[in-house]
Amino acid sequence: MDRNFPQELLETIQKADRAGAQAVIDAWAVGRPFHRVIPELLSPTLETFGRLWASGKDGVSLAEGYVAAKVAEDVLSRVLLDASGDGTPRPSSKGPVLVGNVEDDFHPLGRKMVAAFLRADGWEVHDLGVDVGPAQFVDRAEETGARVIGASAMMFTTAKNVAKLREEIDRRGLGNRVQLAVGGAVFKLRPELVAAFGGDGTAASALEASALFARLARRASEARGEVPA
Amino acid sequence: MNSLERVLAALQNRSSDRPALLLNAGLYGARLTGAALKDHYRDPEVFAEGQIAVREAFQPDLLVSPFALAGLGAAFGSRLSESSRRPPNVAAFAADSAEAALRLPLPDVDSHPQVGYLRDSIRILAKRYAGEVPVIGLLASPLDLPPLIIGLEAWFDALLFQPETARALLDHLTPFFVALGRAMLHDGATALALTANLANRSILPAPVVERLGRPSLEQALAEIPGPVILHHGGCPLLPHLADFKGLPNTVGYVVDAGEDLAAARAALGPGPLLLGNLPGPTLGDLSPEDIGALCDRALSRRAADLQFILATCGADIPLDTPADRLEAIADRVHRAGRVEA
Repeated sequence: MDRNFPQELLETIQKADRAGAQAVIDAWAVGRPFHRVIPELLSPTLETFGRLWASGKDGVSLAEGYVAAKVAEDVLSRVLLDASGDGTPRPSSKGPVLVGNVEDDFHPLGRKMVAAFLRADGWEVHDLGVDVGPAQFVDRAEETGARVIGASAMMFTTAKNVAKLREEIDRRGLGNRVQLAVGGAVFKLRPELVAAFGGDGTAASALEASALFARLARRASEARGEVPA
Repeated sequence: MNSLERVLAALQNRSSDRPALLLNAGLYGARLTGAALKDHYRDPEVFAEGQIAVREAFQPDLLVSPFALAGLGAAFGSRLSESSRRPPNVAAFAADSAEAALRLPLPDVDSHPQVGYLRDSIRILAKRYAGEVPVIGLLASPLDLPPLIIGLEAWFDALLFQPETARALLDHLTPFFVALGRAMLHDGATALALTANLANRSILPAPVVERLGRPSLEQALAEIPGPVILHHGGCPLLPHLADFKGLPNTVGYVVDAGEDLAAARAALGPGPLLLGNLPGPTLGDLSPEDIGALCDRALSRRAADLQFILATCGADIPLDTPADRLEAIADRVHRAGRVEA
């Protein structure tokens, strides 16, 4: 009987079993080109996991999300290693994006998980770290050509600094051309703050960040006249 | 009836003139005194002045020590980031892994300045309000200390992938937690309130909570010779109360904002205090009328519950919260009557 690898991988993530996940991936890779692991195994697994996580059902914990991010990092590292060694095609890039914790915010975990999932899904992620000021965000967006900035804040007090980032984007005339994705515990608890602080969108979980960034990147491209509106 | 008598009545399931009130207003004291936060979170006299001002302005029935848990990380060597708007945060950790943290010496609770600040705040308030107002000593459970010392990511790595190292670090840190908790009680804290986020199933998978979280909490709390109140710490608590019910010396539970108080009481059963469920960090977004309605709803639904204390949940009430929001809470609770037992 054929093995249900996505289901097996999902179960190892839910057990926080990183080594077990590796074993499932190794078993899947027998007789298959490894570069297909992302679209054929990792992505479907993470999509299912993301739905469970976002629904709030089935008791998905933050740590399980962390394990999923680690598994995604492990897979991506291996894909990139293979690509550098034997000419296997590198995953195509969806373009540059930025992530960082807003000024005065020192809670990096969610941001790192988002970065891992974005990279696994093909984005060129520039991770600016914690306590990133508005000017630093926008300077880097201009340097890299990023169409989306992902700003993370955990607490209400620091989430207010998203508004400063919004002001800086607008002050430089980049409104719409650079879209602002926001995330963090406070936005999950109070989604109305996304608009109140000038965010262009948020995602229900780190795993849904890639879909959000895709929507926002398209919107930015339309504003730049790069694709038809 | 004074505040201490009111809170003791609730603890003993006896009638009182009205429900007691807890405001997580350690930070807010600085708004009332006008103190700079760098002084508020360094000088126990300045912090205590803030709590005195809170007491005079809103008459809460419990006062608190600084909700500045990052200072516990600093006692181990973490570097703090100070702000003019919020309590200090950890900006750089004392160690980069659980293994490395095992080599860190435990801070001496009698001589370390960071610990001394917390303890002196309690001493000053306890002396001033002896026999009148309970003072709550705030600290982090042993499970919640590592995120302040090595960061949450490194602590996840240990808990999930190196359980023996995680266990060893908990064994290493528990004596510090116990020594600090005992010292705070000795200094005059009526009770301790602590977070246990890393024993919450919304943060860790159930097997880790069962294998490591709950047992280590049980072991640590058994060594605290005084009452403990468990604070939800920013996590949902209602769905997980069964994990925390019956912990040694635990006399009360602060649930999250908006969590169903009747369901929480049903889960806990009679005996422990139930505290909640006002949204402290976002009071400023609500009108005084909305806040009054929230208070009325909570108070009317728990009117027959002699062990209910109206409380703000979550982190500190922010500095920019207009005073009329807190006045609305105080007004409602001070006017509330109590059904006789």
